[in-house]
Amino acid sequence: MTTTFAQFRQRANVAIKDIRLQKALDTATDNFIRARNRALAELPNADSLRDHFKAIRSATLGQLAHHLETFERNAVSAGAQVHWAGDGTEACEIVVEIARRHGVKLATKGKSMATEEIHLNEALAEAGVEAVETDLGDFLVQLAGETPSHIIAPAIHKTREQVAALLSREAGRPLSADDLSALTAEARRILRERFLTAGMGISGGNIAVAETGSVVLVTNEGNGRFVTSVPPVHVAIIGIEKVAPTWDEAAVWLSLLARSTAGQPLSIYTSILTGPARADDPDGPEEVHVVLLDNGRSQLVGTKYEEVLQCIRCGACLNVCPVYREAGGHAYGSPYCGPIGAVLTPLLFGLEDYEALPHASSLCGACKDVCPARIDLPRMLLELRTDEVTEGVLPWRERKTEEGAAFVLRHQKLMRFVSAAVRLAQRPFVRDDVLNLPGPLNPTPGRQLPGLAKHSFREMWKAGELEDKG
Amino acid sequence: MSSRDEILNRLRRQARPETLPPVWRSQREFADLAARFTESLTAAKGEVRRAESLERAWAEVDAILREVGAQAVVANNEPPLNAIALAARWPDCEWHVVDQTPGDLRQFCARADIGLSGVEAALAETGSLVVHSGPGKSRMVTLLPPVHIALVPVSGLMPDIFIWTAARAGKMPANVILISGPSKSADIEMTLVLGVHGPRRLIAVLYDTGEMRDSRVAELRTTD
Repeated sequence: MTTTFAQFRQRANVAIKDIRLQKALDTATDNFIRARNRALAELPNADSLRDHFKAIRSATLGQLAHHLETFERNAVSAGAQVHWAGDGTEACEIVVEIARRHGVKLATKGKSMATEEIHLNEALAEAGVEAVETDLGDFLVQLAGETPSHIIAPAIHKTREQVAALLSREAGRPLSADDLSALTAEARRILRERFLTAGMGISGGNIAVAETGSVVLVTNEGNGRFVTSVPPVHVAIIGIEKVAPTWDEAAVWLSLLARSTAGQPLSIYTSILTGPARADDPDGPEEVHVVLLDNGRSQLVGTKYEEVLQCIRCGACLNVCPVYREAGGHAYGSPYCGPIGAVLTPLLFGLEDYEALPHASSLCGACKDVCPARIDLPRMLLELRTDEVTEGVLPWRERKTEEGAAFVLRHQKLMRFVSAAVRLAQRPFVRDDVLNLPGPLNPTPGRQLPGLAKHSFREMWKAGELEDKG
Repeated sequence: MSSRDEILNRLRRQARPETLPPVWRSQREFADLAARFTESLTAAKGEVRRAESLERAWAEVDAILREVGAQAVVANNEPPLNAIALAARWPDCEWHVVDQTPGDLRQFCARADIGLSGVEAALAETGSLVVHSGPGKSRMVTLLPPVHIALVPVSGLMPDIFIWTAARAGKMPANVILISGPSKSADIEMTLVLGVHGPRRLIAVLYDTGEMRDSRVAELRTTD
């Protein structure tokens, strides 16, 4: 997958013309933001708590090797097997190997961005293992053969009619779109059967707590509990940056996560998983694996982009982003969309392939304002844009235009000459102060650019037109 | 070199002497923990029934069993449930008590109408039940049946998660779960639906045990 300027524009246009999707995006993102604001307002000292959390995340990343080793030691002593994956391919091989060893044909999966990132489902399919998504939204998206379009609400782009059609096909009988409870009950029935027959459960992990070697997983539906409790083998894939040194830090993390996501004080289910079932437990997995995934993360530690590793995938920045709210998740061409995706995607998968993403932002700063870790996303978007220039990633036309503009702006006389020339040249194309350039010459198709004013600022200043008229 | 060593070496080269900030302590003080617990859990579509004693709590359970029309009930073998003979008290239901009743636990859970459990603690701020795995304590009992009833002693209420982590010590059980409502999803058109995978109903029977909480004791002292 890549996201060039043309691709972003094309995908965003599809989303913008889809009136129903626009309405769904508005409703969902507005609801999420309102709930998030209410929940944080109810918390004592929420702003100090966010400052505190930022300090925790920063200090943890500064000693990440130490905390990861502590996590490993404690997880192993609780009976889990810890694996380290340098990249996505290695992570997939580890999981496929575990599945092969247990002769697994069917695996149930809980929601996990990390597995989207490494294309685990495809790797499992190639190895003859069917991996069924069990988060309701992810399941619907999988049935449709699509990809999620929101971190938290993956099927935000689907109507109930589309959902009814997908589930009818799966159930082998027609289901009505009118009764959402009945549709959900059908999905529950289909997935319940999978849960009880799967040979392996696969999940992500929201937090790896070093102190006890525990993986914390939050869900609202309970699918996370199923995949980690019912099959005989559980595999958790978790990014190396998601470590909390002790439960004191994990508590701060949990206090902010669900509130930032959907305005819940805590998610419905917060599972704390520490090794396989003990000898005297009545149920639970016999074998637990934790795959620590690097895939480019460790390269970011100590750089100007380290801050992006403080992200806890709450999705709050998507909901407030004016670009995401119009363009939707699919425009980004990555499992990570919205402002965080615009920064993280080029860093993990290559700036050359995702040149448009650092520009998918108005730099309004709303993302930074809502972030539970106060990540300065606008700063990093600008840094990435700078990198594009210094690394020669930008298309030559854009680079030459901007170099030319910079040259003109540096030379006053030239600037005066050019602006006078442009004012003259634009005349035939300006109507009601709006510039209407013919097709190929128009730099901003679909948007109206005002023409240059009749007189320059200097001329107006000299003529005394800029005096305070109040 | 293994990936493990590569990753750790790269991180070690970038390590810096940054220390964690001092521990964030709970800033919550609720005059009435039970009221806050009830408010929070109810807001998340959970149900709370108050009982003045454990004996009254059994009466609540009785009412719920009748209301649901329960035929098969699975129960964890833990306090306070192991204090009474469940099957003798409700002979009309088919019972499976974990680690006591012979037969397949998973199959029974899959067809049970109700799962019955105790809790280790409960968090007032978020309306959460803290449930552990362990001997007699099954994960499936609180997950598979469409209704989960938890018996929650008022003395088990803590203000918030920070108090819980501060009180936590030693090794973790294999599975600890904070349950803060019935299973829910809004994945189809942002419309809330209950009981997607887990229980559709979560009922906490909050009962007084006669033990008086410190804060309550303090309150009584000041009004004397």
